[in-house]
Amino acid sequence: MIFLRRQLPLLITMITGLLFAGQYYVPHPASELLLTSATKWLQIIGGFALVLGVTSLFHQHAAKIRRKEAGWGYSLVLYAGMLVTIAVGIWASGKESIDGAMTLFGWIYSFMMVPLQGTMFAILAFYIASAAYRSFRARSREAAVLLIAAVIVMMGRVPLGEYLVPLSGDVSQWILNVLNASVRRAILIGVSLGAIALSFKIIFGVERSYLGGSKE
Amino acid sequence: MAFAERMLKIDRRIIFLVIGLCTLLPLLYPVGLPIKISPEVRSVYDYMESLPERSVFLLSIDFDPASKPELHPQAIALLRHAFRKDLRVVAMTLWVSGTGMADQLLTQVAKEMGKENGKDYVFLGWSPGGTAVIINMGQDLYTAFPSDYGGKPTKGIPVLEGVHSLKDVAYAISLGAGNPGVEAWYVFGKDKYKFELGGGCTGVIAPGLYPLLRSGQINGLIGGLRGAAEYESLIGQKGRAVAGMDAQSATHAAIIVLVAICNIFYFSLRSMARG
Amino acid sequence: MDATVLGAWVATGLTLFIFSFLYKDNPLFKLAEHLYVGVSVGYTIVKAYDTVIVHLIIKPIFEQGQISLLIPVAIGLLMLTRYMPKAAWMSRYAFAFIVGLGSGLAIPRTISSFILKQVEDTVRPLLSQAGEGVTFSMSLLNPASNLNAIIILIGVSSVLFYFFFSIEHSGPGKVVARTGIVFLMIAFGAAFGYTVMARMSLLIGRLTDLIEFSDASYGHPTLWLLIVTVAALVLLARRRQQEPPAAP
Repeated sequence: MIFLRRQLPLLITMITGLLFAGQYYVPHPASELLLTSATKWLQIIGGFALVLGVTSLFHQHAAKIRRKEAGWGYSLVLYAGMLVTIAVGIWASGKESIDGAMTLFGWIYSFMMVPLQGTMFAILAFYIASAAYRSFRARSREAAVLLIAAVIVMMGRVPLGEYLVPLSGDVSQWILNVLNASVRRAILIGVSLGAIALSFKIIFGVERSYLGGSKE
Repeated sequence: MAFAERMLKIDRRIIFLVIGLCTLLPLLYPVGLPIKISPEVRSVYDYMESLPERSVFLLSIDFDPASKPELHPQAIALLRHAFRKDLRVVAMTLWVSGTGMADQLLTQVAKEMGKENGKDYVFLGWSPGGTAVIINMGQDLYTAFPSDYGGKPTKGIPVLEGVHSLKDVAYAISLGAGNPGVEAWYVFGKDKYKFELGGGCTGVIAPGLYPLLRSGQINGLIGGLRGAAEYESLIGQKGRAVAGMDAQSATHAAIIVLVAICNIFYFSLRSMARG
Repeated sequence: MDATVLGAWVATGLTLFIFSFLYKDNPLFKLAEHLYVGVSVGYTIVKAYDTVIVHLIIKPIFEQGQISLLIPVAIGLLMLTRYMPKAAWMSRYAFAFIVGLGSGLAIPRTISSFILKQVEDTVRPLLSQAGEGVTFSMSLLNPASNLNAIIILIGVSSVLFYFFFSIEHSGPGKVVARTGIVFLMIAFGAAFGYTVMARMSLLIGRLTDLIEFSDASYGHPTLWLLIVTVAALVLLARRRQQEPPAAP
């Protein structure tokens, strides 16, 4: 039983991992067919994964409504919004517009979802300004360097800055293309090395957290 | 409490008001300062200009409504350019919540330019799997998307004639707001299937794409609203991005002034504490 | 009433409710926030159903006879057992397959794209210079110039060295690490500048929409709903003041 519950999954991980890592180097048509089928399967499995992510949200808010905790009215609004959208969407077969005419599903998307999501992220602009005022101080030499680079880039990337100080545009281009590029390159190389090390650890069974914790 | 200390602890809603006014006023009363074109945006424009008629242009609209203000103008400008050059446009998205928006913007620009669905463009829609979709498209486009967004089978659509996989795409641009985005299109797409790739992205992830730009892995980069404004100026059709540039200038000026003030007060407090 | 006009009023109202959070957390904001989560989840479910179930599973299997697609369906169903306590162990097979497949696909592609190609591009400009001999382009503005290629090499190696925490940064190592820190600070400053630019653009986009919807053809929803929102906030604040204080 232990084999079925612990060893077999790890074996599956190792075999699929090594198989598809090796597939990259084999140009034979059979290997290409294997890749096509596997990625097709991943598309379908990815759809199920979406559902998985959403179920925990269901439970959380359903529990809140059932126990009538503080703010359960809002959970009701959430459920109502969700169920109405699903009902309307299935009725419109998932289409936002049919033959050029907007469906009710499309109306909910364009006039509720888009403005809501857009505004939730737009208020970040205010918070970045107040955070910059509260905490962006040149406490040390390094912080001063950061501050000066930020000011140059902020000036150089807007027409007003380029108009008042034409040099700021060229300097910010240099900062981005040379200094920033070199740092990001180093970070990219370092992070990729780390990701590959982690992938190997997963394939060889050293890292097992993805299986989900349990006594076995 | 000293004046400097009081100013440092000012109610943040005053700062919100300043930012709000700096954004609103230039939108209502625009000035229209000239916009300099950066080399990375010009590369995308020049490459698009060099494509022959009826080449296949793939636009991957990889963003959701949260990034609409920055990437929607980029998409519109690129589509206008592609339709003007009579390219065959294949559009798709890897982000589920952006599907409706992608469909709507493609239909809008196509109608404006008099282009026909199926003959001049096709919207493949969305498919789950992220990077798996890219690989699958590289292997066989029709396995990844058996039907287009309207439900029509993709095999046999005139605009996809001669296209079997990503290898037959002349130029692909991914407008990305995160993952999957431009990097995923390179790693899982261009690395093996060798098509030319350009990128458009939000301002948050733009600095991180410069290594790929430098190494030629992407041949151009349109960064944020500023990049969209530059592209709109290049194609000669100014839109929302150019209109937003004055507000961008004002808000940046406001932030620089705020940061300068905060540092002046900070240093004056520090010298008071020492002296 | 025309659907677009009604839509303009609803969109403007919801936008202003969320903006009201900037003044203070309030019931209008909470209402909009919960509605946002509900509608987004509903949309995702509809799309997942339509794309995956109808177009990727049912049509290919029943209309085109691709029975082999039953295997990923089975794996997907196994994955859903994660939420059943007794059968949760079966989901491990699904996750093992997905994680193994994902890691296997990613390893060679990441090595090729992000390590080999990036290192190659750092080193190649220097090699070509060695081959040509005398010419040395000094232009700072041209990112491909030789001077910039050297700066990039210094930047990449010093930052990589800085992140090597298993070696002590002393002596010459300290100089290299400090150079790395200076490069890092400049890059973070540039990142901050771009983040500010991005966030402001998001706000500019929303306000452009609000201004567009304040047009007479929609019936001036922006102005009316602004008055309604402010009035509602004032009323809610008054009601909270009048409520008796909670018992100790």
